[in-house]
Amino acid sequence: MRPLALLLCCVAAPLLSAVAQQAPHDSIRGAVRVVNVKARTLEVTAGVGMALRVVRLQVPAGMPVATRGGGGGATLTLRDLRPGDVVRVSYGARPGGYLAYTIERVGRMDVGPEPTP
Amino acid sequence: MTRATWCLVLAVALPAACRRPQPGDRLRGLSAAERAMFDSGRVVFDSTFTPEVGLGPLFNASGCAECHEDPVSGGTGDEVERHATAFHPELPGRACDELAAQGGPVFQDSVTPALHAALGIDNEAVPPEATAIAARTIPDVFGFGLLDAVPDSAILAYADPDDRNHDGISGRPNRFFDGRLGRFGRKALVPTLREFNDGAFQAEQGVTNPSVPDEGTVTGRPLPAGTDPAADPELSARGLELADAFVRLLAPPAPQRLSREARQGREVFTSVGCTDCHVPALRTGDSPIAALRRKEVAAYTDLLLHDMGAVNGDICLGLATPGEFRTEPLMGLRLMTRFLHDGRASTPEQAIEMHAGEGAQARDLFRALPPADRAALVAFLKTL
Repeated sequence: MRPLALLLCCVAAPLLSAVAQQAPHDSIRGAVRVVNVKARTLEVTAGVGMALRVVRLQVPAGMPVATRGGGGGATLTLRDLRPGDVVRVSYGARPGGYLAYTIERVGRMDVGPEPTP
Repeated sequence: MTRATWCLVLAVALPAACRRPQPGDRLRGLSAAERAMFDSGRVVFDSTFTPEVGLGPLFNASGCAECHEDPVSGGTGDEVERHATAFHPELPGRACDELAAQGGPVFQDSVTPALHAALGIDNEAVPPEATAIAARTIPDVFGFGLLDAVPDSAILAYADPDDRNHDGISGRPNRFFDGRLGRFGRKALVPTLREFNDGAFQAEQGVTNPSVPDEGTVTGRPLPAGTDPAADPELSARGLELADAFVRLLAPPAPQRLSREARQGREVFTSVGCTDCHVPALRTGDSPIAALRRKEVAAYTDLLLHDMGAVNGDICLGLATPGEFRTEPLMGLRLMTRFLHDGRASTPEQAIEMHAGEGAQARDLFRALPPADRAALVAFLKTL
């Protein structure tokens, strides 16, 4: 079963990327509130002024989490994200919720964004 | 023009030019276009929303000037809001839950008739997950454009989170969820005046706009169908821009002329350590608006968080713990009738007496002053 799952991931990841480029999507930049690795969900707090919101995202299996620095930075996974990480996520609406297309970790809320290289 | 005409013009214009800015006046030195924006923005600020044009379904006020009204638009008000969050210091990374998924941190006190009919509620309930509910009074917003123009670096220069100079004062910055430095709000969560204003339309009036296009929830539940008749966005981008211009271009209240006693009080204010947090003046940086560019603003704040003691604590917000508050700007203090973030103090003396935590040392020195010095310090505060 495990090889099959791996194969599915390999096939699904490029497909998801292609879908992401075609589907209408939104983006959010905010602080990770909750990471649920088992359910593959991520909750991000963001907002404007005191009008805050939490966006709950489904994260596809195998989706990498980029780090600021692009190719020079290490690639992370959902498991590596922690509450308080500042992330930039592009996502789209799907039946049943939002689906993350790309995730980038750009810093920590308590120290501010990492400098852009 | 004849010499007599010139004299007449000068006789009229000079007193006007020398007149000290009054509450509600615009900044000096604005261009004609900026003055027009200010005047048009005042109309938006003063406007009253109804459910048909966007008010609610949850709201605290039907217009900006309903709360920011005393002595003029942009001033203070007697309303008290409810903010609630959940603080879990045992959780690493994000000890504060702003309850944003449940409608927080601002829980509105009023609902439209349609929402009342649908849910039978009179306000937005605070969810049981909240660990604290805070009362928040209405600050005036005079001079906020200048605070917005202070560079981050100028604020961070006063930060000393580990108290390395051992003076008992350890200001630290709050940050918004994207990591930017915060400065607006009693807990300094909000980075910019524009965001503070745009968010307030939704959080305070339930008026959606291009920056906040969605209505909030009712304690986390979606709005019942048919309770929000106005099409989104309920305020246009132009309306937002104008309202922001009005707030941004409001002049700070000019301090009153110092009497001999108040001059003495200013010295005492420094000597007991008030200025360690209530930094007398900040300097703005670059700005597209000349009247905000490289100006000194006598704000009497460092815009940083300070621990004010558990006795004063209420909610967490962002990085701010329940006991941490942003140093309240003292500019315009003479216009206030209630003091501290929750209005518990009815006089400046009471407010000083209620300082704790990092403010305890200055409070104790104030208590130990001879009565004349205490009176002088208060006299000084009442000139701001």
